[in-house]
Amino acid sequence: MYRRKAPLVAVIATTALVASACGIRGGDVETDVGVTEEACPDTPNEDNGCIYLGTISDLSEGPFAALAQPITQAQEAFWARVNEEGGIGGYDIDVTSFVRDNKYNPEIHNQVYQEIRDEVLALAQTLGSPQTAAILPDMENNDVIGAPASWSSEWLFEDVILQSGTNYCMEMMNAVDYMVDEQGVESVVAVHYAGDYGEDGAGGAEVAAEERGLDFQAVETPPGTDNQSDAINAIVSEEPDLVTLTAGPSDVATIVGQAAARGYEGRFVGSGPTWNPELLNSPAGDAFKNMFLHAGPWQPWDADTEAHQAMRDALPDVEPNEGYLAGWAWSYPMKAAIERAVDEGELTREGLREAAGSLESVDYEGLLPEEAGNYAADPNEGVFRQSLISRVDEDAPTGVTVEQELFTGPTAEGHTMDEPCF
Amino acid sequence: MTELISSLLRGVGTGSVYALLALGFVIIYKSTRVINFAQPALMLAGAVLVSYLVGPLGFFVAVAVAVAATAMLALGLERSVVRPMIGKPVFIIAIITIGIDIALRNVVNGFIGTDVRQVGSPWGLQSVRFAGVSVQERHIAMLLTALVIITVLFLFFKYSRLGLAMRATAFDQETALSQGVSVSTVFALSWAIAGGMAAVAGVFVASNAGIDQQIWIVALKALPAIIIGGLESLEGAIVGGITVGVVESLVATYQSDFAPWLGSNFSVVSPYVVMLIVLMVRPYGLFGTKEVQRV
Repeated sequence: MYRRKAPLVAVIATTALVASACGIRGGDVETDVGVTEEACPDTPNEDNGCIYLGTISDLSEGPFAALAQPITQAQEAFWARVNEEGGIGGYDIDVTSFVRDNKYNPEIHNQVYQEIRDEVLALAQTLGSPQTAAILPDMENNDVIGAPASWSSEWLFEDVILQSGTNYCMEMMNAVDYMVDEQGVESVVAVHYAGDYGEDGAGGAEVAAEERGLDFQAVETPPGTDNQSDAINAIVSEEPDLVTLTAGPSDVATIVGQAAARGYEGRFVGSGPTWNPELLNSPAGDAFKNMFLHAGPWQPWDADTEAHQAMRDALPDVEPNEGYLAGWAWSYPMKAAIERAVDEGELTREGLREAAGSLESVDYEGLLPEEAGNYAADPNEGVFRQSLISRVDEDAPTGVTVEQELFTGPTAEGHTMDEPCF
Repeated sequence: MTELISSLLRGVGTGSVYALLALGFVIIYKSTRVINFAQPALMLAGAVLVSYLVGPLGFFVAVAVAVAATAMLALGLERSVVRPMIGKPVFIIAIITIGIDIALRNVVNGFIGTDVRQVGSPWGLQSVRFAGVSVQERHIAMLLTALVIITVLFLFFKYSRLGLAMRATAFDQETALSQGVSVSTVFALSWAIAGGMAAVAGVFVASNAGIDQQIWIVALKALPAIIIGGLESLEGAIVGGITVGVVESLVATYQSDFAPWLGSNFSVVSPYVVMLIVLMVRPYGLFGTKEVQRV
């Protein structure tokens, strides 16, 4: 009896040994960089292997540090929840061992990417467009996919970048369409930063203004509350029915407050990153309540979806901030890609890139429709065109309440996305 | 005409805040020959402190406490970090102040967090009208505060013993020392005064849209102001600050009509253009002292 089983045991033992040496877990998942058989540090599942994801964010002195911290914290909470639920295919996910600060500097971004490049399977977060552009060729050569911390239309054309929600461009197309249909606006001034954020939004507003036959003027403005005089003067002298804003919260507060103080009586619509609930307590608070609408890629903090509830449960003690929601939302496609790669038995970088590129839908747990995660289609077919409009509401946790649920305006509906909007 | 007067008044209001910041730079430079690049961090620290104290203490008491605390902070930094470097080349000390600025801002940023903090100023964005011209109360408050501080400062320098000691030290450190002036006290006092003034400026800067982690950059507007006025001149700092504010405001209002070919946002660089013109005509600034070099 024992004698007959011995060869079988030997074969199993040898297979296990070879499989282990080649990085094959459970006999059917191939791995290479950034995946270990050893458990993650501080994991709830000691028997699981570990997938290391890197984070390169603006964590100290850069201009987006205030947003980057909640984004990063929410992503840690997201993956901790995944691990607590057993991980993915026998692996836990670690996003805390390889967190690096880019100080919002493309050179540092590239430098820290090179540091962690051989340690991680993919990037849970790569913050900043010029920064991400600085590592994009390397990411492509190394088959490293990453979740961006922005909503730029240019990411639709990069297969290693997994973006969630609509882009600034279509968000502003929808905002202009909404204001034309609901409030009959006939003229638009788009106040915007230079670069992918501001110009993407202003590009969308311009397309919509053209489609709807509106007077349009774009006004570029530099960051800094002391540098908004030109933009304010343009608004006060042109007196458009609508001002679209793609800038930072403090600059937006300066523009809205000062324009109102100098007699402007039109309407403002700000894109996602323009808002911060504390603006309600600023001297411009009344102007925000009366004149400002917020365009966003998904419902705010207090929405009643499975994803929102899970995020609130995972971050019980934090001051509500939409940055947490963004970090949480951006993690779903990465999770779906890892699940697909494990199912395919190819948890290698190449396998993960292929898995991400084959996703036709992503389960966002109700935060976004599943079709928002279509990375398999070409940019024009796969782009998610819906956004929503919120009004300022001082009783809401993050100061905004949805006025118009996710919708696609006629301009975004008919727009051919064959190149970025800027 | 009303547009011109409104624009001028906005410029004078903003310029008086730049003047306070510029005076901080000049007071330290006159005493120590060092440009203190930590002024932006002190401005930020003062404003953030007010944002925390305004709830329990009310605006005016909060500002008074924050000004005193920021002055003490500046004094402490001078004693602990800058003082041991006395005697070293001023270039090295200036670089150290950059280090102080970065370190202090990182600490203060922790207290700003993810939100835009508010100082709760009583003026908001309300305006009053004089003869058909609308002026924001905030700008009037800026101008009046700057006038009071500048008056007190000039009286202090002219009539107090410490003020006299500071003037003597600025004139010639070794001679002042030989006459029994405590140069060390003068150095510390100049940092404390500059810190307090930075805090006042910070409150006014924040009274517009609040405090985020980037408003420290506004303090750098004082640099063209002190070059325009002359690094060693208190009067120059005031004239330089007001000039920067007025030029910015007028350019922002009229450039798109009269000189659109200069491109958008020329007002942002306009103070530096004025600075370059002044440097070409008077290399030591409008009120600066020409350096005499004997060979």
